[in-house]
Amino acid sequence: MLRVSGLTVGYGEDPVIEGIDLEIAAGEFVSLVGPSGSGKTSILRVVTELLVPLAGVVELDAPVRDVGFLFQDDALLPWRTVRENVALGLRIREVPAAAIDEQVEHWLARLGLAGYEGRYPGQLSGGQRKRVAIAQVLALKPRLLLMDEPFASLDAIVRTRITQELLEWVEREHLTVLLVTHDLEEAISASDAVYVLSHGPRATIQARHVVDIPRPRRLLESRRHPTFGPLVQQLWTELSTEPPRR
Amino acid sequence: MTSARARSLRRGIALALLLGLWETLARIGWFDPFYAPPPSHVAQVLFELVASGEIWPHLGATATAAFAGLLLGLGLGIGLGFAAALSPRLAELLEPVMILLNAIPRVILAPLFVIWLGIGLASKLALATILVAVLIFFSVYNGIREVDQRLVERVRTLGGGRRVLMREVYIPSVTAWVLGNFKVAVGFAFTGAVVGEFVASSRGLGYLLQFAQTTYNAALTIALIFVIMVFVLLLFALSERLERRLLAWRYS
Ligand SMILES: Nc1ncnc2c1ncn2[C@@H]1O[C@H](COP(=O)(O)OP(=O)(O)O)[C@@H](O)[C@H]1O
Ligand SMILES: [Mg+2]
Repeated sequence: MLRVSGLTVGYGEDPVIEGIDLEIAAGEFVSLVGPSGSGKTSILRVVTELLVPLAGVVELDAPVRDVGFLFQDDALLPWRTVRENVALGLRIREVPAAAIDEQVEHWLARLGLAGYEGRYPGQLSGGQRKRVAIAQVLALKPRLLLMDEPFASLDAIVRTRITQELLEWVEREHLTVLLVTHDLEEAISASDAVYVLSHGPRATIQARHVVDIPRPRRLLESRRHPTFGPLVQQLWTELSTEPPRR
Repeated sequence: MTSARARSLRRGIALALLLGLWETLARIGWFDPFYAPPPSHVAQVLFELVASGEIWPHLGATATAAFAGLLLGLGLGIGLGFAAALSPRLAELLEPVMILLNAIPRVILAPLFVIWLGIGLASKLALATILVAVLIFFSVYNGIREVDQRLVERVRTLGGGRRVLMREVYIPSVTAWVLGNFKVAVGFAFTGAVVGEFVASSRGLGYLLQFAQTTYNAALTIALIFVIMVFVLLLFALSERLERRLLAWRYS
């Protein structure tokens, strides 16, 4: 579904990441973990064409409009209601109004936001805003879903619940996912494979680990699988090695 | 009683005491009524202005210049602000002019407008317009340049192009900035109209004020200041309602 080869990204002279290769097959759930500031967000911004790379190729088996991007922060349009925010992508695609209404109702109900349609983002809790952002992206039926530390700002309980719901949906729809996170346990319990990005600048992929836990998964149960503990340990070691001095 | 009401009450009492004191001092001769006429006298002048109908054509003239100037200034400021934000070339030319116009007290242009446009409505309109336009230009220009880039990226990844960005991000964001300055703009429009009349005219509150000043009529001057204050406060209240309606998302 997505193949990134030799990707180099930088904002000034020095590249932030250098020569990254990534591959995600259709229907695969892949995570990317790495220290903060290593360039994870930058990779997603290249895939969604928000950022032009210094070098490298991005091959996508779908038009870029079929890529859903769930951003790190939940900046919704503050002047639009929940309903209007969720409908935004559908309106841009010029879906007929009746179909939009139906879709929006469906997603709001699924995400437990029924009754909040007329509220403005400023009147919602962080968890609710995140759900609106999820509904906004999922309503477009993306074929590839990119998520950038989507739940970092939520408390543990809300976070586990939303992640679990999303995981179930992804498994049912065979969605292809690239999840960026710095939470190793979240990465392992949800993914088929985990990429580890090294410390920047000039960060590279240090390792790729396959996660052998059967699906369908429950987040909390995955953590009790025998391969889980050793994998966390290994990732932890890889990430906590001192960045090389240059 | 709520604290807000208690506060209004305290303010009302203080004002009444002050006016009472002024009245007393003027009556017992400690204040020269020529310079500081007692409030009762000012009230009488005010009443006569209104009752005789003398005030209305003047109020009408000032209000016309101020409103028309407000609308024109808004139109010009919004148009130029958008144009400059979207075209770096135009911004290169406009920005220094606007910065200069913003830095000077723009009312100094009044005599020039009188020379160019005569003592009629046009010169007042021009002054009110330029006062408002420069203010609004900057709120639009900065509003667009400082628009939340995260929102721009969101809309782009949802598939939105230039038109959608305009409708969903830039225009609402700029509306918020402009409305944030709307009350100041209303005040500026009035300042422009009154100062324009003050400089040269045959009608308007500014003209009356000038007349009152040259005839050393303190009571009339104070009465006119009062009329202008009431009128502007009324407009402020209206602006606030408009703001609350258009920025419902911010006030809810
Ligand atoms: N718009 C930008 N301009 C300049 N530098 C940036 C910009 N965005 C990110 N960076 C820099 O690039 C590096 C990687 O950023 P980012 O991709 O956001 O990392 P991560 O998502 O892994 O935390 C950081 O050092 C950051 O300071
Ligand atoms: Mg990031």
